[in-house]
Amino acid sequence: MSFLTIEKIKKSFNNETVLHHLNLSIKEGEFVTLLGPSGCGKSTLLRTIAGLIHPDEGTIHIDGKNVTEVKPKDRQVGMVFQSYALFPNMTVQENIEFGLKMKKLDKESIKQNVARVIELVELTGKERSYPRELSGGQQQRVALARSLVTQPKVLLLDEPLSALDAQIRKNLQKQLRSIQQELNMTTILVTHDQEEAMAVSDYIYIMNKGHIAQSGSPHEIYTRPASEFVARFIGNYNVLSRKEISNLFNDDNGYTRDIYAIRPEAFSEAPVKDGYEITGKIQKMTMLGNITRYELEVNNVCFIADHLHKIEEDSQKRETITLYLNRKDVISLT
Amino acid sequence: MKRMNGMLLISIIPFIIFVLLFLFVPLFFMLYSSFQENGGTGFTFSQYMEVFRNTYYHQAFKNSMLISFFSSLIAITLAVFAAYSITLFSKKVQDRILVFANLTANFAGIPLAFAFIVILGNSGLFTLLFKHFGWDLLNSFNLYSWSGLVLIYVYFQLPLAVMLIYPVYQGIQAQWKEAAALLGASPSQFWLKIGVPIIMPSIAGTFSILFANAMGAYASAFALTGSAYNLVTIRIGAITTGDIFARPELGSAIATLLGLTMVLALLINEWLTRRIRRDLS
Amino acid sequence: MKKSFYHYITIGIVVLYLLIPLLGTFLYSFATSWHKTILPEGLTFKWYIELFGDIRFLESLGRSLILSLGATILTLIIMVPAIFSIILYAPKLEKIVQSLVVMTYAMPGIILAVGLIRAYSTSGVSMVLITIGAYFVGILPYMYQGTRNSLRNINAETLMEAAEILGASRYTAFIKVIVPNIMSGILVSSLLSFSILFGEFVLINLLVGGHFETVQIYLYQKLSQSGHIASAIVVCYFILISILSAVMIKMTRQKKETI
Repeated sequence: MSFLTIEKIKKSFNNETVLHHLNLSIKEGEFVTLLGPSGCGKSTLLRTIAGLIHPDEGTIHIDGKNVTEVKPKDRQVGMVFQSYALFPNMTVQENIEFGLKMKKLDKESIKQNVARVIELVELTGKERSYPRELSGGQQQRVALARSLVTQPKVLLLDEPLSALDAQIRKNLQKQLRSIQQELNMTTILVTHDQEEAMAVSDYIYIMNKGHIAQSGSPHEIYTRPASEFVARFIGNYNVLSRKEISNLFNDDNGYTRDIYAIRPEAFSEAPVKDGYEITGKIQKMTMLGNITRYELEVNNVCFIADHLHKIEEDSQKRETITLYLNRKDVISLT
Repeated sequence: MKRMNGMLLISIIPFIIFVLLFLFVPLFFMLYSSFQENGGTGFTFSQYMEVFRNTYYHQAFKNSMLISFFSSLIAITLAVFAAYSITLFSKKVQDRILVFANLTANFAGIPLAFAFIVILGNSGLFTLLFKHFGWDLLNSFNLYSWSGLVLIYVYFQLPLAVMLIYPVYQGIQAQWKEAAALLGASPSQFWLKIGVPIIMPSIAGTFSILFANAMGAYASAFALTGSAYNLVTIRIGAITTGDIFARPELGSAIATLLGLTMVLALLINEWLTRRIRRDLS
Repeated sequence: MKKSFYHYITIGIVVLYLLIPLLGTFLYSFATSWHKTILPEGLTFKWYIELFGDIRFLESLGRSLILSLGATILTLIIMVPAIFSIILYAPKLEKIVQSLVVMTYAMPGIILAVGLIRAYSTSGVSMVLITIGAYFVGILPYMYQGTRNSLRNINAETLMEAAEILGASRYTAFIKVIVPNIMSGILVSSLLSFSILFGEFVLINLLVGGHFETVQIYLYQKLSQSGHIASAIVVCYFILISILSAVMIKMTRQKKETI
């Protein structure tokens, strides 16, 4: 049963269409990510859901109610901004209770609710601090708490972590996901970071130029990219033309599509049944932490292959390497 | 400890000499002479006693403060609303209006007083225009009275106020408004709870700059009626250089008191800012 | 974007308030005679011709230029190296300079004038020179801000380190690397200072008076004699500050584009 439904949403700015009749449906309690490069329309879509932008065409339903013409404040959505948008003149406590005060809740329940979310986002002891006295990660957690405390039906996150250091970002991703699951909060995240999307989402919509390029679970998207754009965007896929594929495998049979993709880690050093054997010249070798990345060349076709790093390996001296590839791992793209 | 730096010494010495010669020495002489008898014979408090006893000087301080207060208030009120309206227009229009404000901010003193004489003086353009329509402006308004002087003061305060207030609105992020709207606040609630508290310290700061600016103004009033207005600055000028009856020691005492007033205004502003915005302290 | 009528009104009030006196003066400077009618009886260049034919005006213009320009250049030469050294080599002193800036804000010309008269009027030094010194203090805040911002924009500290590592002495590095890079920023605050000094009346009138007639003093003398000529002076003065502002804006924009 769909909890949030978006039908045929269209939006243009200055005669340029930013959203092309998009359809999305999101289940209750689901964590959905809108993933795409900057300018793909993902933030516009999120702001349309929030009601900050009015669509030219289409409808938005939340929990069975058509909210297309409803004002932002009456949609029962919470939003966390990239810049946090904390009110600088208010303490952490005052920022968080702002939404409840607007709802005119009584003092006692405001106090209880605020205390509960402050504990949830682990900011106990910071109630009386002002935003500028907090670190970036702490500010972001205040922003999250401020949105959660009003118990919105949908939580919208607009690149909430992109201004933070890598380490803090990883920790906050985990925390975000566990809070979301604890509250069973329907959540939509906008990000351009495919790792972040893979790490936290139940479902991903990849957007490109105002269209949805592909949607599916992180696993589906990663293992079966539907198009060249997705393959290039979500990872280090080898994207090869038909001619390159046949040169690589010395095999013309069955490769009738124009373009194919192969994951770098699909190449293995152990022989596989019903697979190809490829011996390539090593052009370059790079250490990426626990992975060794080879840039290889076979019959004038260049590609990359990733391997878990092995200590005993002494490949510096090797000039060629023989690898094996399962036929199933050659993905045809549209 | 850094090693001694020749460049630092050579460049800083002339600077210090100039500041001493033209800022601290005159300040010292002013203070010193304010405690001297007429003609500079011996230490006394009598100059200050005279300022405190003489209702004419009370009046001068009162007039200066009133005209500074009201002209600043009018200018800042207009600027608070106009500057916000400006931010809603395109960048190009905003730039043009600011350039215009910048230009008119330089238009002060004698030329300004004269421009007002041309439009509102005894045979000024508006005076004639209104007379033509049967309304004798001079019955209800006189440029050479206090109301005329307020108009002139507002003129030189207004562009300054607009230029100082305008950047304040740039500091209000659009996302604060959106966040407040999503949390259920109406636009007026946003301004009441977030917008105004955030801009308040800047408004208070701007007000004190305007107030100090008006307190020290001299040329416009002087150009309009010479020494007829009883303002502190006009009194100081007249007493210090007066051909008939120069009393520089008394002038020094009044100037010292004027300086103290300004310092006080700046201190009050600082204190107010801290009271209003606890998060800034 | 929709804008309500109200926003046009608020801006309109401010713009009209600032524009009407200017327009009135402008019209008056071209009017043959304008005493009883609503509109001027005729238009003429007579007042401008008369003004520029008056040797007294031309002399006062020259004095104003020399005085303002001289004070600006002097301040430039003394302040820029001083602020530079303080920011780079004695940052603790910057607090003191900042309090000087606040002091000069709180000290209007009239107070400074009283002090200077008490200190120097009997010293035998020409009061014109004293006025130049007073102008140094008057434009200190603008020069300080301009220099500091320019130095910050070009990352002066790193530039100096780079130049010194490449073998330049501090003096050479300052003259060859820092000065050319901060020139445009400093020129803007110099123009601002110049236009402020050009309109200065209080100090020159109280310190020197009629002995050294600048444009402002000449204008003051003319106020009671001929309104039309006074208007012509005001218009010329306004055109001058407009040109200076235009140059400043253009330079600031260019700077933004190159950065």
